[in-house]
Amino acid sequence: MIELHRVSKIYSVGPVKVPALSDVSFRIDKGEFVVLAGPSGAGKTTLLRLLYRADLPSDGEVEVFGSDVASLRRAQVAALRRSIGVVFQDAKLLPVRTVYENVAFVLRVLGTPRRDITARVFDALRVVGLSSRAQAYPAQLSQGEAQRAALARAIVRKPPLLLADEPTGSLDDAMAAEVFEVLRDIWTGGTTVVLATHQRRVAVALRRRTLALEAGRVVKDEG
Amino acid sequence: MFGFLMGEALRDLRRAGRVAVSAILLVTLSLAALGGFWLVSANLDRAVGRWRDRVRIIVYLKREPAEADLPQLLERVHAVPGVASAVYVSRADALRALKQVLGKDAAVVDSLPTNPLPSSVEVTPAATAATPNAAHQLVERLEALSEVEEVAGGVDWVERLSQWQRLLTTIGLGVGAVLALAAILTVTTATTLVVHARRRETEIMRLVGAPELTIRLPLLLQGMLQGLAGAVLALAALSAMYSVVAPRIEPLVSLTLGLPRLAFLTPLNLLALTLAGALLGALGGWLARGGREA
Ligand SMILES: Nc1ncnc2c1ncn2[C@@H]1O[C@H](COP(=O)(O)OP(=O)(O)O)[C@@H](O)[C@H]1O
Ligand SMILES: [Mg+2]
Repeated sequence: MIELHRVSKIYSVGPVKVPALSDVSFRIDKGEFVVLAGPSGAGKTTLLRLLYRADLPSDGEVEVFGSDVASLRRAQVAALRRSIGVVFQDAKLLPVRTVYENVAFVLRVLGTPRRDITARVFDALRVVGLSSRAQAYPAQLSQGEAQRAALARAIVRKPPLLLADEPTGSLDDAMAAEVFEVLRDIWTGGTTVVLATHQRRVAVALRRRTLALEAGRVVKDEG
Repeated sequence: MFGFLMGEALRDLRRAGRVAVSAILLVTLSLAALGGFWLVSANLDRAVGRWRDRVRIIVYLKREPAEADLPQLLERVHAVPGVASAVYVSRADALRALKQVLGKDAAVVDSLPTNPLPSSVEVTPAATAATPNAAHQLVERLEALSEVEEVAGGVDWVERLSQWQRLLTTIGLGVGAVLALAAILTVTTATTLVVHARRRETEIMRLVGAPELTIRLPLLLQGMLQGLAGAVLALAALSAMYSVVAPRIEPLVSLTLGLPRLAFLTPLNLLALTLAGALLGALGGWLARGGREA
């Protein structure tokens, strides 16, 4: 499903070159739950951004769903992203819309027939345990709830791949546990999940395959 | 889908707030100016048209031609380039016509010892002779005929009217264009604000793989809505002004220009103004480039 071959990424900040990834190779198969572990600055976010083509590698190939992301044209990039759900540390909910509207927004943007929208939004909200909060505005949610709403938005189109970049980074342990629970349910439902985290404890506790990044290199791949 | 895009556009419009309101008012102003000049110009054009149809050049003859010479004379007048038709008016005909015009005062004419009126040929210029130059040439050619005493009438003042009308149209287009430019820029400013207010939506749209068109269309639509709102206001203002002013100046216009009735813009004109508004708005919306890259 995902294959990286000798991938490097170097950011240029003016004359300064910042190497973020160096010679990274691995593959992730359909149905896997992979933890991308490593300290802050290791290159986790950069790696995920390459997968949904928010950025291009400086060198090497990034293959997602069988196509080289560097060769995709604009419309194909959009198509790729329609098959990938993404969540971040910050939930990025639209503030003047309810939870329901935030999730429905994705469907409406992509032209889903009106009559299907309500059922699909509530399906997604049920998976993340937020059915009762559908009419709440983001400001009324706890951070944990906001993150779960973001997860609902990411999976409402049932994408085969979910990328989560430090989704529990700003949550307390109880809320984080809930989010991990939801991620596990999503994975059990058949979605491939890639979870980036700098919390070593979390990585260990999940007991799944762990790709450890350090200074832009894969230093460990086990589990 | 259209409902969604429209909903987003309306939401954006509310967010642009006061700037959107000034954009709408500027569209209103530019279209009202354009429409106002158009209205005046169209009515002047009608007056010019009426007068052109009615223009007669009277060719006064030195003396009444003999009956036998008449066909030959008319033929020669007819042969002058720019003459559409020529009708002979004898001295007696002229007197009868004068009596008719005088109506109940016709008795004055009867008291005259002799008929003072000359005989004449009434010439209707061809459409090709309707320009000031051509008309002058026609008059000169007619004056060159040996039987002719004097040539009266002409299209001079109609032409002046026509020139005024053209000048007015040019001014109207100029003023309209300047205001339209200002309107476009203001719509662009409003749209730039919208782009800023929309950046979260745009980010999410890109993230979930929305087609570029879906991302851009709400921006275009809200610009177009600004333009349309401006157009509707402009048409309302124009028709309100027309219904107040027209009845008041109609008698004056009838007296000076011979137009018994003023005419409002035709439905086609109104449609054109509305489309122009939508176009202005869409252009302003499109010019706000910010929407292109997240
Ligand atoms: N847009 C950018 N421009 C320049 N340097 C960047 C940029 N994004 C990330 N970096 C650098 O690349 C390295 C990896 O960053 P990142 O992928 O964000 O790591 P992580 O997500 O593991 O914390 C860091 O040294 C970071 O400073
Ligand atoms: Mg990061």
